[in-house]
Amino acid sequence: MRARRRGAHLAIYAILVAATIIMLFPVAWMLTVSVRPNVEVMKIPPDWIPALFTLEAYNKVLRSGRYLRTFANTYFVALAVTLVSLFIGAMAAYALARFRFKGQRAVLMFLITTQMFPLVLLCIPYFQVVVKLGLYDTLTSLIIVYVTFTLPFCILMLRSYFAQIPKDMEEAAMVDGCSRVGAILRTLLPLSYPALIGAGLYTFLLAWNEFLFAVVLIEAWEKRVITMAIYSLMAEFVTDWSMMMAFSVLASAPLVIAFIFLQRYMVRGMTAGAITA
Amino acid sequence: MAKALTFRRRYRQELQAYAFLWPALLILGLLMVYPLLQVIRMSFYEVSLQKETWVGLDNYAQLLKTSLFWQVLWQTMLFTAGSVILHLVIGLGLALLLHARINARVRNFMRGLLIIPWLLAPTVAGMIWVLMLAPFGVVNGLLASLGILDSSATINWLGSPETSLLSVTAMNVWRAFPFFMVMLLAGLQAIPDELYEAADIDGTTPLAKFWYITLPGLRGVITTVVLLDSIWTFRAFDPVYVMTGGGPINSSEVLATAIYFDAFQKLKFGYASAEATVMFLILFAVSAVYVRRAVREIG
Repeated sequence: MRARRRGAHLAIYAILVAATIIMLFPVAWMLTVSVRPNVEVMKIPPDWIPALFTLEAYNKVLRSGRYLRTFANTYFVALAVTLVSLFIGAMAAYALARFRFKGQRAVLMFLITTQMFPLVLLCIPYFQVVVKLGLYDTLTSLIIVYVTFTLPFCILMLRSYFAQIPKDMEEAAMVDGCSRVGAILRTLLPLSYPALIGAGLYTFLLAWNEFLFAVVLIEAWEKRVITMAIYSLMAEFVTDWSMMMAFSVLASAPLVIAFIFLQRYMVRGMTAGAITA
Repeated sequence: MAKALTFRRRYRQELQAYAFLWPALLILGLLMVYPLLQVIRMSFYEVSLQKETWVGLDNYAQLLKTSLFWQVLWQTMLFTAGSVILHLVIGLGLALLLHARINARVRNFMRGLLIIPWLLAPTVAGMIWVLMLAPFGVVNGLLASLGILDSSATINWLGSPETSLLSVTAMNVWRAFPFFMVMLLAGLQAIPDELYEAADIDGTTPLAKFWYITLPGLRGVITTVVLLDSIWTFRAFDPVYVMTGGGPINSSEVLATAIYFDAFQKLKFGYASAEATVMFLILFAVSAVYVRRAVREIG
C-alpha cells in the first residue's frame, strides 16, 4: 500500500514536470532564438541548443533609439493608467462597499457589463472622437482609453476587499476627529495594500499588453508602444527572428520579474477579480 | 432651509456615495455608453469621413446577405469553442496535478512557471508561434524528427486555409490556459477535506470521488470561468490580427478583425458599425447570464 502510494506520488511529480516542460517550450524557444545568430533559426531538424551564443540581437534592439523610445512610452502609459485607475477605482469601490444607496445594484450591473464589451466596437467612435479632439497620435488618448477598460475591474476587485474590512476602525478614527477622507487614508488604505498591489499589477499588465487601441489611435514611431513595435518588426524584418525574439524577451521581462516577486498578490487578484465579477 | 436639511438627511447615503462615485461614472458614461450609442446610431447610416447618409436597415440587410459574414461568425464560434474547451481541459488537468499532495514550495514554484504564458502580450505570444509554425520552424522540425512528417513535405500551418484557424486557436489555448488553472486550483482548495475523508472511509474509488465531490464542488468556478472566457475569446482581436491577419482568403478571420478591416481599411464605417452591433447583441446575451450570476453573488 505504502509503496503504491509512493509510486503514485512520483508519477504525479513526473507528469507535472513533463507538462510544465511542454507548456514552457515556446518561452524557452523564444529565449534560445534570441541568443543565437539568425541563420541558425530555420532548420529541419532544428538545433535545440544554440551552436553559437551571441547577444548581438539584444545589442541591435538596445542601441536603437526608436525601440528604446517605445519602451519609455509603454512604461509611461502603463504607469499612468495604473495610478489613475487605482485612484478613481478606490474612490468608487469605497462608495460601493460602505454605503447603501439608491442605484447601487444598477451601478454594479453596469460595471460588470462594461467588462464584457466587445472592445473593437469602441474603436470606431473612439477614433472619430480622438481625431476631432486633436488627440490622434498622442499618448494621452491611449491613457484615457485604457482607463475605461481597466477601471471597472479595479473597482470590482477593490470593492470586494474593502467590504471585508470592518467599518469600526474608520468610525473610531472619525470619532477621534478625522475627516472621512482622513480616516480612509489612515485606516482603510494601509490595510488594503494587498488588493491595491493585486489590482495595480493586473491593470499594469493589461495596459502594457494592449494592442488594438494602440493600432487604431497611434501612427508616429515616436508615440508607438511595444506591442505595436513588435508587430511592425514582424512586418518589416520578416527574417530577423533573433532580433524579434530579443525584443519579445525585453518586452516580457518586466512583467515576469514583477510577477515573480508579487505572485501572491497577483494570484489573489486574478481569483478575486473573477469570483466577485 | 428646513426642507433642504431634511433632503440632505434623507439622502445622506446617496450624497456621500455619489460624491465618491462620480468620477468613475463620468468616465465610463462618456467613454463606454456614449460610444456604444454612437455605434448603434452609425449602423443606420452610410458613413464617410465627411458626411453621413441615413440608409435605414440597409447595412444590416447587406450584412445578412453576405456569405462571408456567416463564415466569419462560424469561424469565431469555432475559435471560441475550441479555445474554451481546451482551456478547461488543460486548466483542470494542471490544477488537479498542482492540488495533489505535493510539496507546497514545489506547488508554488510550478504554478509560477505555468502562469508565464498568461503574462505575455498576445502580440508577443503570437509572434513566438509564427516563428514556431513557419514552414522550416520548430514544429515541423519536431514532427519530422519524430517521423510523423516527411521533412520534404512540411506543413505551412499559417499559410494554408485548412490549418490557419487551427494554428491561431492553438496559440490562444496556450496563452490563456493559466487563467483556468489558477482559478480552478483556488476552487479545488476551497472544497473541504472532510468530504474526501468521509469518502475514503466509505472506500470510494478516485474516479467516483472526482465525479461526486470534485466536479460538483467546482461547478460555480467552472461556470464563471467558462462564461468569462467565452466572452473574452469571442471578442479577441490580437491573436488573429498578429498571426494571420485573417487570411489566407479569410480562412482565419474572426468578427473582431473583420470589423476592424471593414472600418479602417475599407472605410465602411456604417457597415462595420452594423457588424459591431450584431456582435454586441450576441455578447450581450451571453453577458446577461454572467451578470445575473455575478450580481447575485455580490448580493
